[in-house]
Amino acid sequence: MFEPHLNERQPRVDWKMILAIVGLMIIGVAFIYSAKPPFETATWYKQYYVRQIIWYAIGLAAAISICVIDYHSLARWAIIAYWATLVLLIAVLIPGIGTTHGWGARRWIDFGPFQCQPAEFAKLSFIFIQAHFLSRPTEELRQPMVFVKAIGLTVLPFLLILKEPDLGSALVLLPVGMAMCYVAGVPTRFLLRLVGGVGIFVALLLVDVLFAPPGWQPVKLEGYQRDRLLVYFGRDFASANASPDQRHRARQKQEERTYQVKQALISVGSGGIKGKGWRQGQQTALRFLPPDTAHNDFIFSVIAEEKGFLGSVVVISLYTLVLFTGIRIAGQARDRLGKLLAVGIVALLFSHVFINIGMNIRLMPVTGIPLPLLSYGGSSVLCSLIAAGILQNVYLYRRNY
Amino acid sequence: MLIFDQLRKNDRRLQTLAICVLSGLSILLLGLWYVQVVLAKRYQASQVSQSFRTVRIPAIRGKILDANGTTLAENHPDYNVNLYLEELRPYFQSHYSNTLNWVTKELGKAGGKTKLSRAQRIELGKQTRFQVVSNLVARVTNSLGVPFPLNEKQFLEHYDQRLFIPMPVFSGLTPPQIARFVEQSGNLPGFDLDVQPTRIYPHHSTAAHLLGYLQREDAPMDEDTFFNYRLPDFTGATGIERAFDESLRGKTGIKTVLVNSLGYRQSENVWSPAEPGQNVYLTIDLTIQKAAEQALHSGPEGTHTRGAVVVMDPTNGDLLAVASSPTFDPNQFIQGLSHDELQSLNDYKLRPQINRATAGVYAPGSIFKTVVAMAALEAGLNPKEKIYNPPDPSEPWHGHIFVGRRKVKDLAPPGDYDFQRALIKSSNTYFITNGLKAGVDRILELGKRLHFGERTGIPTRQDSGGTFPTREWQQANLGGAWFDGNTANLCIGQGEIAVTPLQVAVLISAIANGGKVFWPRLVSRVEPQDPFSNYQPVEYPTAHVRDNLNVSRRSLDLIREAMHSDVHDADGTGRRAFVPGMHICAKTGTAQIMQGRKIVGHTVWFASFAPYENPRYTMVVMVELDEGIGGSGSETCAPLAHQVYLALQKHEQQAKPNKPGALAKN
Repeated sequence: MFEPHLNERQPRVDWKMILAIVGLMIIGVAFIYSAKPPFETATWYKQYYVRQIIWYAIGLAAAISICVIDYHSLARWAIIAYWATLVLLIAVLIPGIGTTHGWGARRWIDFGPFQCQPAEFAKLSFIFIQAHFLSRPTEELRQPMVFVKAIGLTVLPFLLILKEPDLGSALVLLPVGMAMCYVAGVPTRFLLRLVGGVGIFVALLLVDVLFAPPGWQPVKLEGYQRDRLLVYFGRDFASANASPDQRHRARQKQEERTYQVKQALISVGSGGIKGKGWRQGQQTALRFLPPDTAHNDFIFSVIAEEKGFLGSVVVISLYTLVLFTGIRIAGQARDRLGKLLAVGIVALLFSHVFINIGMNIRLMPVTGIPLPLLSYGGSSVLCSLIAAGILQNVYLYRRNY
Repeated sequence: MLIFDQLRKNDRRLQTLAICVLSGLSILLLGLWYVQVVLAKRYQASQVSQSFRTVRIPAIRGKILDANGTTLAENHPDYNVNLYLEELRPYFQSHYSNTLNWVTKELGKAGGKTKLSRAQRIELGKQTRFQVVSNLVARVTNSLGVPFPLNEKQFLEHYDQRLFIPMPVFSGLTPPQIARFVEQSGNLPGFDLDVQPTRIYPHHSTAAHLLGYLQREDAPMDEDTFFNYRLPDFTGATGIERAFDESLRGKTGIKTVLVNSLGYRQSENVWSPAEPGQNVYLTIDLTIQKAAEQALHSGPEGTHTRGAVVVMDPTNGDLLAVASSPTFDPNQFIQGLSHDELQSLNDYKLRPQINRATAGVYAPGSIFKTVVAMAALEAGLNPKEKIYNPPDPSEPWHGHIFVGRRKVKDLAPPGDYDFQRALIKSSNTYFITNGLKAGVDRILELGKRLHFGERTGIPTRQDSGGTFPTREWQQANLGGAWFDGNTANLCIGQGEIAVTPLQVAVLISAIANGGKVFWPRLVSRVEPQDPFSNYQPVEYPTAHVRDNLNVSRRSLDLIREAMHSDVHDADGTGRRAFVPGMHICAKTGTAQIMQGRKIVGHTVWFASFAPYENPRYTMVVMVELDEGIGGSGSETCAPLAHQVYLALQKHEQQAKPNKPGALAKN
């Protein structure tokens, strides 16, 4: 690749991306603070925004230390990391080790003061192993067996995460894997077939959920997953031949299930162009936006209500900056391994951003996908910053010294 | 540019990736623009509707005052205790979690499932909330010594539907209870004292028919959608309260209450404050009104006397007293009526809710002879000319007259009658003879100018027109068959004629003032309570002439003279009304109430004005009598009129030293 200004001193880190990330972190802390209930009684160090700052610090430290070691050396550990996370994913399913945090799904492993979501780390180790696997010569990628193996690497964590269940996190692996295969040079016809197959499967699943009679369900979805899909497609919860009583109960349930989405939309929409001002959002102050999700999965609703469309544009712009510097890094990478790592991370971050913001405006069904760097949550912040660190790593070691 | 550089890459697959990412982000931006810019109004509206409740605040009702500014209807502060549930939330929470712990422990001991289902937890929440509230309320009931008012069903209903307003707990606290409550409320969370204006009629049943009463107002259908809650409000049901409801009511205020997702009140904001209603000033003089009602209650059946008294100023048509009996206490309607009270209000015979003075229609009897007299005198009757009244063969001490083949009795003794004697003795023979001579058309024309058969236009709505035959009416109802018999009946105020006491007062006033037929005036002005209000005071003109009798001065003087003799001659029928120092002029009357061909009772009248020289008062007294109860205008009504005239005389003497001409001004 030909660099136009060879004699100029090349920066060692991509400052644009770092600025964008710092900007996102500031926004994150500010609005997690804003999303706290008005009469929060917890001591200051237990409050979410303080803990988020701590996580940012830990995450930055992790990102910097990632940069110390050349990504080639890191990639050698990819297989071990991959299997280790698979073990964690299995462990989290065992009731004694994994906890549910009172939610429906078993997603967390308790480490005393903090909990970790192995699914988040599985995404990173998956990107590493996939990049490592696909960085073989392009000719080999033309063999169907290689493609099948690549799919196999995706399906293993996919199924385990699905089992938690965490459909959102599991589904994110698919576009990431696809993007990496595509950029690596896997023939398009293979990918199209895969996309076609998955498409048919998803279509069948939707038909099953939306139209099948209640007693007949060949694919078993969790109750809440089915409900979320029904909400997303705006379908009546009651089946056509339900009794008035059933219908009444179904209506009530529908109201409960639609509540979050409805309140998120009201938050975002009522923000208007300029928003109501920081800490002036009524949806959180009056607890219409459920306080237990306002600071994590629905943080974007808080930002959009308080800062309006202008705030949303700023957030999207910052993500655009991160994603496109990521793509540039992929283009500038020294080798295919670096390029694929960068592509995987860009795809991962993009999927998160798209699904999470999309869910706030009812473009996407509700899933537990956090918004990178803005949502409260240790595992998510840590992984996002490590991901950014890997990008910088690829950038840093783009030349042989 | 960073973005376009990536789109122009020579690595085609990376370029595709960049395009995908860019279009994904553009979709998000587009979606956000749609939600936040295009649909912003809609979402802002639904945010307001889910977090604001509008509450309608009734304004303080205006007063009703008499001509001298004495209050006839006003508002009285009623003290209530309200409970602000949002202040009890910490208590709800701690009691709930304590109970939940205890329940879980007990379940654990029993060895069963320790976790409660969602429905069970909701039920537990309901129960614990009620326990907290009922414990607190019980402490207040103990200290106030009142019965325990809280009902679980009502509480839950309030909690579910009206959480944004405080819950009323006690109402109508007495001063000692207020004192005790204020002393102890400091250590009770959530309780607060609230003052609510309540309508009060300080003179109870006095002028009840004119004032009317209030009834609780339910939300009209079209307003329902706007207000989430209406504070209790009342609307006028009858009388002035109804006629001037809009002015009295003022402008209702609106406040908005900000609520959280559970419906608890967070803050309040008054959008538009309530503006107090305007005061309505009547022409009524409370002293005269009271005297008139007292007089009625000394009638033949005490407070159950069915009758009416109207006192009017003949110079301008102002009503000084409009009394009807039996009466009722309008305060009862505010407190709510007991079964017995409702029964007596709807008594078939007494009908206390009817204003007999303005809405009751009666045959005028001999009172109407004044009209016949005007018609005859105008037709050229010579007042000195005598007419012989022959004795009735069956009752030789009474006279009689044959009209066609029908014999009409005359209670006046047989003998010769000139105009004055005929009016005093109320001779049927004389007036039928002269009425027929003058012709029915002259009588009908006078009745038309007096607007008999038409409403008097007072605003209280209890305003009957009565009946009076016109040529058109004759055509429509009798097929044009009008005989001398009909005219003879009309000449003695029977048959196809029915009037209200108020209409009679208008007639007598016209005789007294020289022929002016007034619109009676009841309301003199409406003015805002606050002199700096935007509302302009409204004056209703006095001496509003409706018509003119066009009867010569000579004829009226002759009638007035005869009416004066009726009270001042030894054999006058109105002599029982005599008051020393006041020249009263009167005509009495007794009309039969027929049911088929049977006489079931009498309407007895006393129609008068005073003083003779310079009339200031017109007074009409009417009493309904059952058949069998002896009585006549002379025996029953004249003494009542006497009482009222005495009171008027006393009132004038009291008023004169401090306010010269105060009454004349009325």
